[in-house]
Amino acid sequence: MHRSTWITRAVIALSVLVLLTLWHIGAVLLDAQVLLPQPSTTAAALVSLVQQSPFSLNVLGTIGRALRSFLIIFLTGGILGILAGYEKHFHAFLTPLVVICKATPVMSVILLAFIWFSSGTVPVFSAFLMGFPVMFVQMEQGVHHISPRLQEMTVAYGFSPMRRLIHLVVPSLVPSIITGAKASLSMVWKVVIAAEVLTVPRYGVGSRMQLAQVHLDTAEVLAWTCIAVLLTALGDLLFIALLRIPALFVRKHRKEVQEVRP
Amino acid sequence: MIINSVSKSFSVGGKSLDVLVDFSLTLPPGSITAFVGPSGCGKTTLLRLIGGLEQCDRGIIEKAVSEEGPFSYLFQEPRLLPWHSVISNVELALRDWYPDRKRRIERSMEFLRMVGLEAYARFTPDQLSGGMRQRVAIARAFAYPGHIMLLDEPFQSLDTHLRWSLVEAFLALWKADKRTTVYVTHDVPEALLMADTVVRLSSRPMEIVQTYALKTPREQRSLGHQECIEIQRDFYTYP
Repeated sequence: MHRSTWITRAVIALSVLVLLTLWHIGAVLLDAQVLLPQPSTTAAALVSLVQQSPFSLNVLGTIGRALRSFLIIFLTGGILGILAGYEKHFHAFLTPLVVICKATPVMSVILLAFIWFSSGTVPVFSAFLMGFPVMFVQMEQGVHHISPRLQEMTVAYGFSPMRRLIHLVVPSLVPSIITGAKASLSMVWKVVIAAEVLTVPRYGVGSRMQLAQVHLDTAEVLAWTCIAVLLTALGDLLFIALLRIPALFVRKHRKEVQEVRP
Repeated sequence: MIINSVSKSFSVGGKSLDVLVDFSLTLPPGSITAFVGPSGCGKTTLLRLIGGLEQCDRGIIEKAVSEEGPFSYLFQEPRLLPWHSVISNVELALRDWYPDRKRRIERSMEFLRMVGLEAYARFTPDQLSGGMRQRVAIARAFAYPGHIMLLDEPFQSLDTHLRWSLVEAFLALWKADKRTTVYVTHDVPEALLMADTVVRLSSRPMEIVQTYALKTPREQRSLGHQECIEIQRDFYTYP
């Protein structure tokens, strides 16, 4: 591995160590478990949480809601964003909705949704409303950045609409898809957990957080927070892994071309 | 090809801008015609009208039977898809015409070989120099079965040495398959060495100032040749 990579990693490790030390010193000085438990107590709470029987159900509940919400955002935000990018009247039609979604506070969305829907649906709905504009706007701008010169080339060389979509539109939109999906995914995690805290569905990381807070078990609240952070990080890693798949296909395709060479 | 009383105007800031007014000209099939005129006179518009990328306001462009069908376009820039390899860029344009994948790739390789880029087939455009990218565009234009070649100052952004090598590469391919070629440029020497007919144009609205049918065979032409000197003198003496 490159030397500078090692140095960067060492700096990150040092930074984590400093934060943990500050936390520890703060906890020792305050000397009140309810206000700020020590890192070791939190770690112990985390271990016991993982060993409790409905742990996986709670985590899977949150993951399920986040994924459902993300998939709906990805599809609707993606498709509507592309259409709005091409058709200015459609853009005008959707503008009020997008502006309202962007400007409404997360908490009002969650509270209103709780009046309308069951507790399990509220996180999905709220995360959708919050994440949708992010994906939509990214895709719409992506369409505006498709090169008009390449577009004209595809017309001159008689590309069919489908071939244009596959070989010009989608590859041009890849950066927007990645940015939009990443940003909306990280927002989805936060909103889903916030909505779970308020609506307390049967299983969910946010529900457990809320119950721990009611019992003044601060260590457990922190432990669930650690799990939420880990979920977000794992989500990001999974996302990066998924992004490698198309690159593998491209390499395979190039190899085939090489083999056909006379 | 007969360009018959073609008119075209654009609306710019609410005002109508006449680019072509009753423009007429006949281009013999299988010949290279160069349009030389000042920047912004409407040469590219004429090319786009011929290629069907724009529609005439009035008038008609009639084509000979051998010219009916698709066009091959060479733009000012290479216009290659940056996420595809060189060979894919050529091959993609051929999909409608050569359904058999093997045949398509063979044809693409054949034309890449002709422009000296066989070894670079698997490279992506960003791994090539500007001249090499334009060569790929030339290979694509010739591999595509367009019955008319439309060239929009394709060598403009390159240095003199590279420009001549591309002109030679183009002429070598053209001699093997003489398609009607319409060539737009503001470089007089380039037009003189390439074309059968050089059409000198005025500024907007574009009109024909003079038409020069070159008598000297292309192989014997040089910028020092008497006929070329006389035409150049015309261009540079009477602006």
